[in-house]
Amino acid sequence: MQEIFKKYKRDIVGWGIMLPAVLLFTFFLWEPLLASIVMSFFKAQGIRLEKFVGFQNYVEVFQHPDFKSAFFNTFAYTFWSLVIGFIVPIILAIVINEIIHFKGFFRVSIYLPNVIPGLAVAIMWLYIYRAGKTGLLNIILGNFGIPPQAWLTKAHLVIPLIVLFMTWRSAGATTLIYLAALQGIDPELYESATIDGAGLWARLRYITLPQIYNLARTLLILQIIFVFQVLYEPLILTNGGPNNASISLMLLVYKYAFEKFDYPKASAISVIIAFILIILTTVYNKIIKENEM
Amino acid sequence: MINFFKKDYGVIRSFDFKKPYVRFIYFLILIFALFVVFIVIFPILWTILSGFKTLPEFVNEPRIFPKSYDIGKFIETWKLLNFGRFYINSFIVVIGSIVFSIISNGLLGYALSKIRPRGYKLIYFLLLWSLMIPATTSIVPLFLNIVKLGLQGTFIPLWLSAGANAFFVILYKNFFDSIPQSIIEAARIDGCNEWTIFFKIVFPLSYSINTVVTIFTITNSWSDFLLPYLLLNNTGKETVMVRLFQFRTSVATEVDIIRAVTFSIIPPIVLFAFFQKYMMEGMTRGGIKG
Repeated sequence: MQEIFKKYKRDIVGWGIMLPAVLLFTFFLWEPLLASIVMSFFKAQGIRLEKFVGFQNYVEVFQHPDFKSAFFNTFAYTFWSLVIGFIVPIILAIVINEIIHFKGFFRVSIYLPNVIPGLAVAIMWLYIYRAGKTGLLNIILGNFGIPPQAWLTKAHLVIPLIVLFMTWRSAGATTLIYLAALQGIDPELYESATIDGAGLWARLRYITLPQIYNLARTLLILQIIFVFQVLYEPLILTNGGPNNASISLMLLVYKYAFEKFDYPKASAISVIIAFILIILTTVYNKIIKENEM
Repeated sequence: MINFFKKDYGVIRSFDFKKPYVRFIYFLILIFALFVVFIVIFPILWTILSGFKTLPEFVNEPRIFPKSYDIGKFIETWKLLNFGRFYINSFIVVIGSIVFSIISNGLLGYALSKIRPRGYKLIYFLLLWSLMIPATTSIVPLFLNIVKLGLQGTFIPLWLSAGANAFFVILYKNFFDSIPQSIIEAARIDGCNEWTIFFKIVFPLSYSINTVVTIFTITNSWSDFLLPYLLLNNTGKETVMVRLFQFRTSVATEVDIIRAVTFSIIPPIVLFAFFQKYMMEGMTRGGIKG
């Protein structure tokens, strides 16, 4: 008995130490995830599961016009976030890395929006995009003689506008990651390039950019994963409107769960989202592995 | 002049500054950076300044700056919305969260890094996946779990949920990986058990990572609103963010809302002012690894 205990002591103690956290993870993340998969195959009355219906929830969700809007909008969010948001941190990092004086001031300033609670920032931007002449954007454009617009009611503009807000909020954090990478570039690379007669542009093009290429690839996938989950931005700014023009998949989950109280359908969409995220994450992990080789 | 432009990193180097066009480019870069800072700061500043406006001024007059700066307006809103209570509730949530966050995530990170019992890889694998799948997708079953235990309307689930943060566990694990295994082995030979090693030896060495995790926990639990809203709405235990979220459905004047936003962003900004080094470090340290 003593022998056996000795042999497995490390495992027993180890699991004993992990136990509190493992229980919490199970309770808060893993079990609910499984439960939502199970729930997506049932019909329910409120929170009570009634009968197994196979893929019926999925079929009904797919056939509902809201799903189509949410699905394509989510891709539109991702697309616009790549157009607007992907390049911004790279440019900012390169620019700030070149600055000699007050570098700390610039780094701190651009990171500032990240520390403000997301809900508060969303309400702030609600007033920035406010229709009528007293929204901040309209005040500024008014100085150039442009009449006030009801920004968030324009179906074709609403997603880019929300993405603009998301970029404002999170570009600073990504910039810091790029900055760290830029500071890690071997200075001798630049020196030998200079000796070979490379100008500023050539140094940027043939040294700086290739050196952060792998990181950019990684962050690109992370950004897609991140934007795919967009929820509270459209929830606060537009509640999915106008006419579903800004509804996202996560927002659709929210609406099924907390407005229609149809938990199985909410779960079905959650499962679809999780499935897409698993695919994206697999791609991400593959890229990380390639980078390491 | 040479010293003023001393630069031995990046694309532009000290010697480049001899050329006038490089100086001009550098000047443009500075202007551009200042412009970016302006875009970043201005909306925040405008929000805070707008709190000084009266309601007619805010909804009718297209001006950036308020006519007068009377702090009394903020005090009025604070009293009207009874904001002190929400602050206290938020503080309670934050403090409990810090305790659970450090102990639970720290212990798990320690076990994954230094003890590695059989099967630890499974847990590590699950954690890496948890980083990618948002908790919000399964918030309904989670809510039902909490209701089954009769914990709705209390702060306990919010405290406990801070103890299940995959990002923090990875941060801890990476940090503990950098502590030499020999220290741990020496303590084991001296007869210390793993709990003693963690609390007496590893924990005191972990000051910097604990600070990073504490600050992130503070901002996370201060900012969280969906689960707190589901658990605490209409119980008298609403946090600051729950109160902000209630503005979606409750009646309030716009200036009161915008002042409430200011109340909610001041604590995180103050925290950032004191601990910006740690916050930005944690960002780059944990940001991509995982």
